[in-house]
Amino acid sequence: MEPAEAEFLAEKELVTIVPNFSLDRIHLIGGDLGPFNPGLPVEVPVWLAINLKQRQKCRLIPPEWMDVEKLEEIRDQERKEDTFTPMPSPYYMELTKLLLNYASDNIPKADEIRTLVKDTWDTRIAKLRLSADSFVRQQEAHAKLDNLTLMEINTTGTFLTQALDHMYKLRTNLQPGESAHSQDF
Amino acid sequence: MPSAQKPMRYGHTEGHTDVCFDDTGSCIVTCGSDGDVRIWENLDDDDPKSINVGEKAYSCALKNGKLITAVLNNTVQIHTFPEGAPDGILTRFTMNANHVVFNSDGTKIAAGSSDFMVKVVEVTDSSKQKTFRGHDAPVLSLSFDPRDVYLASASCDGSIRVWKIGDQTCTTSWPLLQKCNDVINAKSICRLGWQPGSGKLLAIPVDKVVKLYRRETWDSQFDLSDTFITQTLNVVAWSPCGQYLAAGSVDGSIVVWNVENQECIERMKHEKNYSVCGLAWHPKYRQIAYTDTEGNLGLLENIGDGKKPNDKVASTVTKDYNDLFDGEDDDYLDGDMIEPQSSPKAGDNEDDADDLMPTSGRLRRALIDDDDNSLDIGMIKANSNVLEKEDDDDDQTGGFSALPPSSTQQPFYDGPMPTPKQKPFQSGSTPAHLMHRFMVWNSVGIIRCYNDEQDNAIDVEFHDTSIHHATHLPNSLNHTMADLSTEAILLACESTEELASKLHCIHFSSWDANKEWTVDMPKDEDIEAICLGQGWAACATSALLVRVFTVGGVQKEIFSLPGPVVSMAGHGEQLMIIYHRGTGFDGDQCLGVQLMELGKKKKQILHGDPLSLTKKSYLAWVGFSAEGTPCYVDSEGIVRMLNRGLGNTWIPVCNTREHCKGKSDHYWVVGIHENLQQLRCIPCKGARFPPTLPRPAVAILPFKLPYCQVTTEKGQMEEQYWRSVVFHNHVDYLSKNGYELDENAKSQLVKEQQELLMKLFALSCKLEREFRCMELADLMTQNVVNLAIKYASRSRRLNLAQRLSEMAVEKASELATAPEDEEEEEDFRKHLNAGYSNTATEWSRLPVRNVQQDQEMEDAEETDAYEEVEETPEVHKQRPNPFCKGVTSAEVTTPKSVVIVSSSQGRVNPFKVSSNKKDPVVPSANVLDTMSKHSKKTSLSSSRAVNKQNPPVIKPLIPKPKSKQALAASFFQARTPNSSAKTVEEREEKAGNESHEVKVTAQENTENKRPKTGFQMWLEENRANILTDNPDLNEAEVIKEGMSRFRMLSSEERVVWTEKAKGGTVNDLAEDKKRKRPTADEDEVKKNQEQKSEDSNVSKKPKPLDQSTNVRLSAFAFKQS
Repeated sequence: MEPAEAEFLAEKELVTIVPNFSLDRIHLIGGDLGPFNPGLPVEVPVWLAINLKQRQKCRLIPPEWMDVEKLEEIRDQERKEDTFTPMPSPYYMELTKLLLNYASDNIPKADEIRTLVKDTWDTRIAKLRLSADSFVRQQEAHAKLDNLTLMEINTTGTFLTQALDHMYKLRTNLQPGESAHSQDF
Repeated sequence: MPSAQKPMRYGHTEGHTDVCFDDTGSCIVTCGSDGDVRIWENLDDDDPKSINVGEKAYSCALKNGKLITAVLNNTVQIHTFPEGAPDGILTRFTMNANHVVFNSDGTKIAAGSSDFMVKVVEVTDSSKQKTFRGHDAPVLSLSFDPRDVYLASASCDGSIRVWKIGDQTCTTSWPLLQKCNDVINAKSICRLGWQPGSGKLLAIPVDKVVKLYRRETWDSQFDLSDTFITQTLNVVAWSPCGQYLAAGSVDGSIVVWNVENQECIERMKHEKNYSVCGLAWHPKYRQIAYTDTEGNLGLLENIGDGKKPNDKVASTVTKDYNDLFDGEDDDYLDGDMIEPQSSPKAGDNEDDADDLMPTSGRLRRALIDDDDNSLDIGMIKANSNVLEKEDDDDDQTGGFSALPPSSTQQPFYDGPMPTPKQKPFQSGSTPAHLMHRFMVWNSVGIIRCYNDEQDNAIDVEFHDTSIHHATHLPNSLNHTMADLSTEAILLACESTEELASKLHCIHFSSWDANKEWTVDMPKDEDIEAICLGQGWAACATSALLVRVFTVGGVQKEIFSLPGPVVSMAGHGEQLMIIYHRGTGFDGDQCLGVQLMELGKKKKQILHGDPLSLTKKSYLAWVGFSAEGTPCYVDSEGIVRMLNRGLGNTWIPVCNTREHCKGKSDHYWVVGIHENLQQLRCIPCKGARFPPTLPRPAVAILPFKLPYCQVTTEKGQMEEQYWRSVVFHNHVDYLSKNGYELDENAKSQLVKEQQELLMKLFALSCKLEREFRCMELADLMTQNVVNLAIKYASRSRRLNLAQRLSEMAVEKASELATAPEDEEEEEDFRKHLNAGYSNTATEWSRLPVRNVQQDQEMEDAEETDAYEEVEETPEVHKQRPNPFCKGVTSAEVTTPKSVVIVSSSQGRVNPFKVSSNKKDPVVPSANVLDTMSKHSKKTSLSSSRAVNKQNPPVIKPLIPKPKSKQALAASFFQARTPNSSAKTVEEREEKAGNESHEVKVTAQENTENKRPKTGFQMWLEENRANILTDNPDLNEAEVIKEGMSRFRMLSSEERVVWTEKAKGGTVNDLAEDKKRKRPTADEDEVKKNQEQKSEDSNVSKKPKPLDQSTNVRLSAFAFKQS
């Protein structure tokens, strides 16, 4: 899976916007949206929120967790624990990136939030690498990785599985060595 | 000169406290039972320096930078001052010391202990001690003779002793006090004092008087007393000059005398009546610091009459008297702070106790020489408080008479206190003193005002950017008021010294180049409130005037307000003004409201009616709902709305405080939408209004009428029903005022209401509450009543069903009479619009239709369940009849009105009906199951009824329905009319002069009758067969059975039936006619009668009908059972 695909999925998440236009309910395949009343908060998918924001048709209200204090707490918790802690949103990274890129003027302390999310992300990726490393080293057969988000799995998933495949091939080729050859002939 | 009593503040934890000033008077030093000594820069010092001196401090004394304290561990210790470093222990006792004092030059201290001993110790050399034995109980208090010769002590053994310091002998002793065994049981701690300077007098507080003893002779010189003192005196303190003596009592009163003339110059009452246990004069100023046994510290300023030599001009703290009761600079209106200051009894008591003459004399004096006697409210309050409790007034007066009569009794007002009048405000604004504030937040947009060092500007932002883009305006004139509409921005400022008060309008929707205009108010007239409506702006000024301008700046109406304005709001043509109708009392506001329409017909709707506010609250928001109904919110968070359906009364629709999480949380209302039933507001945590940053988000609250028992199903539905009714009053209002309305929404809501009623009806039926059922049925529309009848008979409540049918008939006749009355009322409208006359005439036909309809309904029931579905078309068939008649008269007036009528009729949606008949609807036993379908039909008809009641609505709606109708007509014309159409046509011929359009509509409606499918016809014929085969089948099963049989028929046969249905076979036709004839004839007769004499027949008519319906109904019911 591509990161772009994960991002695409994240765009289905709902965020609250305050539109500055008036529009009746719109009927889409994914469900009805609206009605849009100027000045009244309404929940829309991220893709629409960004689209509207780019056209300056709305003001974005950041998700509840996108708050310096809450993120600091999450980051500290993440650093403290050995295992992965649950994230406020399954698409926290994607949402942070999308919203901060397109609507940073509506998010107070955008820079701090960016740093905090990045910190949390780094901590988690480091944990993931570490656990992958020990997984390979100890030649475990299976591992449990709870609370990982899609994007995080995406960073290492394909690589790790392919690597494991290769290693498996190498190992199976190495041990029976001659006999395998003889069978071929 | 008035003395000022500053509010008490927390000093120590509760328990005994002591207070003194430092030598220069720059700070107050207190000690308390928490073992701390606190050094206060002044009373407002929020961060006093604390020195911990022990577990518990009993007494402290301060001189020459040495702080002596008596603490719990039985020691008397020194601390340096102001550093607070421990500087050794002066002396020890076997029990704790109760009082420590310095001598006048600060070289010695005296300490009296609970171990009965008194010690005098030199401060510099603690080895030089003198012990005074002789007391038989714990020593309470001590006082050094200023000349250092004597020492006076008071003890729990009841004696006051004077010791000669030199030889440690007891010079004299008076048994003045009550005996007790411990300090805590002593009635008074008896802090006595020598007169400073000469030491000529020794003041001893004994019970309620201060006894003064002369030095050397040791005889009682005189007593100081006052009626104000009602409890034992605890402490006395001499002013540093020796001229004044202050005494504090255990009930918290403090009295100051001028010792020379023994005149009482000051009376003051502790705000909470706690016992005063520490009293200290400021060394220079006329201030007294005092502490109570609850650990509070207080300060009295500007004591006496200003004769003191070393008196600097103390800063006079002028305070509103309200502040005496509530120091916090809180919301000036927050109810409770204004307590009744005294009770009326106080004065009476005084009159009873005293002779009337002296009292009046005293009063007169008080009025005359009030420069001599400071007349301050605090004192008055204290007086009255004391008097309230005064039981033993008689002995008071005894002692009192010896004294020169001082002006103790000031006249005071004694009743409900007037509430400060609420200041004028703009709805949706935050307080003007804020640097960043909202000037207005309404449904159009937001105006913010920035007023800081760098910038003084106004930011206007529109919720809907399609109205106008956001703008930034400089605020050079210092505008404080603003309003915003979809046409203009209105700003106003108060007058300054040079500039007059200005009204500034930015009319951005103007099509010419000049978008702004300004108007100066006349001199000395300040704008206090402004508002914008559609095409106009208004401002209310301090001259009690309301000035109306057009939005382009033309001055229009001007009128006077009965009182100072509080707020204004505008919407469309409506202007609402809230003003002070009078003075409110005990925290309530007394507001009035005017509501006027500034449209073409200018009229006042609310003529200064009182505005209902929650107790002790004030107005917080006033405005209109998006639909134009006046609303307001009070400070208790109750949202009220004008109920136009109940004689313009106010109904509470929401309590925002119910939704608050915290006690200090509030909702700041920004808008109300009736159609969506939304209360838009901003949640404010711990505040009444939101800050501008971070930008607050709007939340939506639901409405809820405060009905009883909303937890029960019944209460809930009742609340829902009435809420729906209240929130759709605006529909009637708007339609009356000629606004175009969404028909769908309207029918939707009627449907919703009737559905609720039907549910309630079913619920009451279930609960065997038949009377209640009747009451509910009374609220229903005609068609739903019929449904209710059906429901009742189905659930075998024959009695109820019968009564309901009676009611239905009554209703019909009522409907007949009511419009005629109305007709006269609405007469003037006829003159206004000729077109209306036909609607009035039309009304007179209405009863016939309804009655007839009833019969039809019963006919339908008589047949079978399947035909119940058919009843829809039947109803529609009947409907148009009155219109036909109506039109005849309409035609006489104008051809245009014909169009009007037919168009209103065209609103009948033919498609809806046909869809109804197309699906045969497997009839269910429960009527409610088919409810939605039925009520759809109901809503349709009732919405039409509503239309008729509000004739003007027809006008703006002409274009739309017309096209619809034309379409419908052509659609139906393709088919051949059936028998009932013919009957109608017959009538038409009778009536003679029908327009083609009407004919078409009549046809259209008769078409509704026609849609019998082949199956239906087949079923009618074969019903009997089915029933004979299976006699125990109910209606639903009959139809099911019929369906299966019909399917079994060969396709040819079916085709025959369908063709029959299409063509309307002679057979069927005849049958139909047979059935319908009687009713039709009846109608004809009735109509003819009516045309002759409308009024007379109305009363006659219901009777025969009544009977016939009853008979039929009972027949039907029995058949059912």
